[in-house]
Amino acid sequence: MLSLSPRQLATQVLNFALVLSTAFMLWKGLSIASNSPSPIVVVLSGSMEPAFARGDLLFLWNRGLDTQIGEVVVYNVKGKDIPIVHRVVRRFGGGSTPLRLLTKGDNNAADDTELYARGQDFLNRKEDVIGSVVGFVPFVGYVTILLSEYPWLKQAMLGLMGVMVVLQRE
Amino acid sequence: MHSALVRVQNVFGFFTTVAFVVATIVALSVVVTPQAPSASVKLRNVQVVRGRPHYYSTKREEYAHIKFDLDADLTSLFNWNTKQVFLYLTATYPSLDPREPPSQAIIWDAVLPSLSAPLHHNQYIHPAKNGKASKGKKAPYPPGEIHLAAQRPKYQITDFSGKLQNRTDAVLELGWNVQPWVGALTWVNYQDFGVWKGLNGGKSKVFQFPEIRKRKEADLKTEKGGEGNRGKPA
Repeated sequence: MLSLSPRQLATQVLNFALVLSTAFMLWKGLSIASNSPSPIVVVLSGSMEPAFARGDLLFLWNRGLDTQIGEVVVYNVKGKDIPIVHRVVRRFGGGSTPLRLLTKGDNNAADDTELYARGQDFLNRKEDVIGSVVGFVPFVGYVTILLSEYPWLKQAMLGLMGVMVVLQRE
Repeated sequence: MHSALVRVQNVFGFFTTVAFVVATIVALSVVVTPQAPSASVKLRNVQVVRGRPHYYSTKREEYAHIKFDLDADLTSLFNWNTKQVFLYLTATYPSLDPREPPSQAIIWDAVLPSLSAPLHHNQYIHPAKNGKASKGKKAPYPPGEIHLAAQRPKYQITDFSGKLQNRTDAVLELGWNVQPWVGALTWVNYQDFGVWKGLNGGKSKVFQFPEIRKRKEADLKTEKGGEGNRGKPA
């Protein structure tokens, strides 16, 4: 079972590396096509219920710089790295002045003014927004939430995958 | 070769393939489903008051409280792939700088669930006919049909510049976002796209923001929505 020749072992390692790099290339290719640093995101909070629940997968597109009111955008708060998925409820400017947006989660009674950086009352479309939602698949992303909330799951999954690879050699 | 593990793998692989194909077909079927939405929006009353954006802010801004009438037939937006329709009414008015595009702010919104969506506290409950409290669980109209008179706004809006009084050429516009069970999100279309007819109506007559006058506190109550998070935004 474990008596692999060096050549077979090298082939296995190469196959594995090929799978990983193909996945990476697909991800980066999608990133470039959509012009977003993170073209697929998982919904982490319940602030957009009942439209998006925790664990839904969202597809982002960042080439529409003239974000309309009512669109759902994903943005990072200045200085923090937490992406927030909320809906645009106000828009100002967009010609020669920068496009300013105010966002609000559907399930939040208040708009996002409290979430923005100190002294910031509106989002700047070019600087803060990393994409707007164009499509969605329900529930598929829940695995990533489980992986981040229960770190031992990561070890368990990797262990399981390792066992499967070894078992499949026979 | 025929071990249980291989069989499980084959079944799982087949399941994901079928699920993917069915989801794609459902998502694409929406394109060929006809839609013919119509709506009529009327301004009832607009008042402008002075207020603060948050309690600790020192700047005072001008806020508009806009009451409206809305009659809409959006039942054709609800097909088998519709989970909900997020309906919103915006106030659109020209920017202070004439070269900029118009400014927009949402004054009222509602989450209209389809009949297949599970119950959620944030869904809109249409007030019953004749203004009586809704009797029991029966909705007065099918999903997508709205009849509201003298509806209070959910949000009092302000402009980026802080000035709203006496500004002219404002319009109330209806918009929506159709949330599917799977596939692409779609927004309001005023143009026809194939079998999807553009929205018929949906814009109010042009109005002007009045100047600030002293008004009774009770006149400026806003509508409370069904949002679950009432404290700090999640």
